[in-house]
Amino acid sequence: MSEIKKIKNLKEFSTSADRFEGANLLCPGCAHSIIVREVLNATNDDLILAASTGCLEVCTAVYPYTSWDASWIHIGFENGSSAVAGAEAMYKALKNKGRLKQPDRTPKFVAFGGDGATYDIGFQWISGCFERGHNMMYVCLDNEVYANTGGQRSSSTPIGSSTTTAPAGRVSYGEKMMKKDMMAIMAAHGAPYVAQVAPNKWKDMVAKIQKGFAAEGPVYINAMSACTTEWKFAPEDTIAISDLAVDSLVFPLYEIINGEKLNITYRPKNIIPVRDYLGAQGRFKHLFTKQYEYLIDEWQKNVDKKWDYLQRREEASV
Amino acid sequence: MEKKGWDGFEIGAMLRSFDGATRDIATTLPEDRPYSQSNSFTASVADWRIEKPLFNKDYCIDCQFCWVYCPDMSIISRDKKMVGIDFDHCKGCGICVEVCPTNPKSLLMFAEQQDEESAIAEWPKKDTSKAKEEAKDE
Amino acid sequence: MADTMELRDIEVWDGNMAASQALRQVQVDVVAAYPITPSTPIVENYGNFTANGYVDGEFVMTESEHGAMSCCIGAAAAGGRVATATSSQGFALMVETLYSASGMRLPIVLNVVNRAIGAPLNVNGDHSDMYMGRDSGWIQLDAYCPQNAYDLNFIAFKVSEDHDVRLPAMVHQDGFMTSHTAQGVATLPDDVAYNFVGEYKPMNDMLDLDHPVTHGVQTEEDWHFEHKARQQHALMTAVIPKIEAAFDEFEKLTGRRYNLVEAYNMEDAEVAVVCMGTSVETAREVAEEMRAQHGIKAGVVGIRVFRPWPLEQIAAALKDVKAIGALDRSSPHGTVGALFNEISGSLFNTDTKAVLTNYIYGLGGRDLTKAHLVSIFTDLKANADAGKPTTPLQQYIGLRGPKLSFF
Repeated sequence: MSEIKKIKNLKEFSTSADRFEGANLLCPGCAHSIIVREVLNATNDDLILAASTGCLEVCTAVYPYTSWDASWIHIGFENGSSAVAGAEAMYKALKNKGRLKQPDRTPKFVAFGGDGATYDIGFQWISGCFERGHNMMYVCLDNEVYANTGGQRSSSTPIGSSTTTAPAGRVSYGEKMMKKDMMAIMAAHGAPYVAQVAPNKWKDMVAKIQKGFAAEGPVYINAMSACTTEWKFAPEDTIAISDLAVDSLVFPLYEIINGEKLNITYRPKNIIPVRDYLGAQGRFKHLFTKQYEYLIDEWQKNVDKKWDYLQRREEASV
Repeated sequence: MEKKGWDGFEIGAMLRSFDGATRDIATTLPEDRPYSQSNSFTASVADWRIEKPLFNKDYCIDCQFCWVYCPDMSIISRDKKMVGIDFDHCKGCGICVEVCPTNPKSLLMFAEQQDEESAIAEWPKKDTSKAKEEAKDE
Repeated sequence: MADTMELRDIEVWDGNMAASQALRQVQVDVVAAYPITPSTPIVENYGNFTANGYVDGEFVMTESEHGAMSCCIGAAAAGGRVATATSSQGFALMVETLYSASGMRLPIVLNVVNRAIGAPLNVNGDHSDMYMGRDSGWIQLDAYCPQNAYDLNFIAFKVSEDHDVRLPAMVHQDGFMTSHTAQGVATLPDDVAYNFVGEYKPMNDMLDLDHPVTHGVQTEEDWHFEHKARQQHALMTAVIPKIEAAFDEFEKLTGRRYNLVEAYNMEDAEVAVVCMGTSVETAREVAEEMRAQHGIKAGVVGIRVFRPWPLEQIAAALKDVKAIGALDRSSPHGTVGALFNEISGSLFNTDTKAVLTNYIYGLGGRDLTKAHLVSIFTDLKANADAGKPTTPLQQYIGLRGPKLSFF
């Protein structure tokens, strides 16, 4: 295996030469791009990348331009995982047969997909890749909505969020279902490494990406991607909203090793109320009315319960 | 890129990031890369901006928050120092200004047409009330 | 290094074994597959070869046919020889990715063991899946027997991987009738088979780490049309000459001759049927009998290359007949059969005055008997004599209940 890139601090990290290029078509303030940069810059190894159909894909490979400085493939909405798994299988075959053009280099295989591609339509393909143990990393850019197609609900959309297919209205508070627990599902595959990350906590995130790259086998990264367009906040607030998400514990940062050992990797000094997180986004605006305000309390209870569960697991070392 | 006819491009709509061979691209800075015409690096989104960030190096502490959180690879850092903004690729989101921790900020948003010299001249001074508050917090 | 398998000159193989042996002999780098009747034994046999050291490529058993083709596409883009197999519902599940493979110009060989598509569910052979693939941009070769299934795999790899072509190819064989019927198959030694196809030559390969490539971009109204035109240009102009060259070379190597259109007794034929798959062999036998017993100059045109459609060769093969029966083994669902359509299109601007009628037969594995073919040839003779159709344009053959016909 290749050497792990030394990233002691942000100054050192800033010497990275990006392999993801500007003049892509992502919205101003899009967190996808920040996540992709932190993943790619976490290693100096060669990369073979895939993306499922979605914001990242349609904004970074619109003919005649590509924003990728490493080999990259897109097939469809559901199969970014399988695309990179196929490439990884070919790498193994050619290595075994002595036909690699650069046999001294070991590329990393990474697939990116949104939460629609991950939690919903591509779920079976990802599960297949993880069960088969391909040596790859799957990064879910989790913005909790089908953003590319204009803000429809996915199974990652949290309760109470207003989306175009589960809109808040006179008799509805919007999304009725709780967000699917993809982390638990992927950990249940027995994957060597599963982690939830947020790009605003860059050091935590880069450390996890490096752990993921060092692991043998399929690695799942659930990356919170605050969406200025669909969460409805100003583009300059992407990092501020992300801070609210992790400091309110709506997006707790943790890792699960070999499907059995859970570690919490970030404990906010001051835990802020979930209300502050919800109140900062237009998608939850309707919760701040008499009719639906009770949901804010429920939200807080759910977040507290989840945090308690994570802490108990960590303490019990399971 | 010139609009070519159907027989004028690579099969399968395949694009190459670079002209010719590259090695160690992960450690090669943009200025040393053989970008192809197909690489979006060669394109510009400058016309997306209504406002632009301007940089005042007098206050910069090279913390690199702006670099790490820029979604558009538009903060140019070399040798651990912030050296400027790539205005071909900056979309004017304003994240760099928001995450800048100095007092006053080393990055501020200005109207797209504002020139750098006058912006620097009218740069706000240190906010002492804020500084005191911060000192108290510490 | 994979072990060599010593084969007898003639092996008794069914079509599935013939296909799996071909995949083994060309040393496919990645086979990603999912089992489905009746193509399952191709995958099982290949698994067996792998387990016993005859394969040193990767064998990926995916979670679905869609996943299988998705892996194949990733593997092909990475830069190596890739193959898989499927049938019917699995083929249908793959369809989305078939368009991706051809649009991205990736050489992949897909063995399709033809089977009906439900509902109602059915595991037996008809050509519904083959027809479903006909607009997908793949090359489609059709085997009539296990020997063909073996031979056409070599042709498929050779043509598909050619840098002037770079289009994926399907090798079709009839479910059960070919796939599970053991016959004598003349074999090639491993090295001879491999050398016929040759070493895989990468192109735009993702694993060339010094030349990063982007595959699978988006093109909208400003570029999409040109890219699809370029793909069609390759399929229309490059493929047929390459197939013919491969057929010639294969004949030199093996003595077995293949043609784009397999014309049988067509030199002086007055009536002819056009069909595919195992029906071709039955039709040839009946054509002989029609000549010997009924004095009807009957001929058979078998389609060997379904896509790209050999329009000129079909027109040439049929130019002198007076009546043609197009035999379609797929429910046409609302129109004439696909072969009827293709033949009409091939002949429309020619001088022929031939009467063309359509027969729908064999759905869901229903037998096409010699008696059925006798009655078809008899119909065609009546059409030839009358100079116009004496029957409805589309008739169902071998169906229980009252006669069914349309147009």
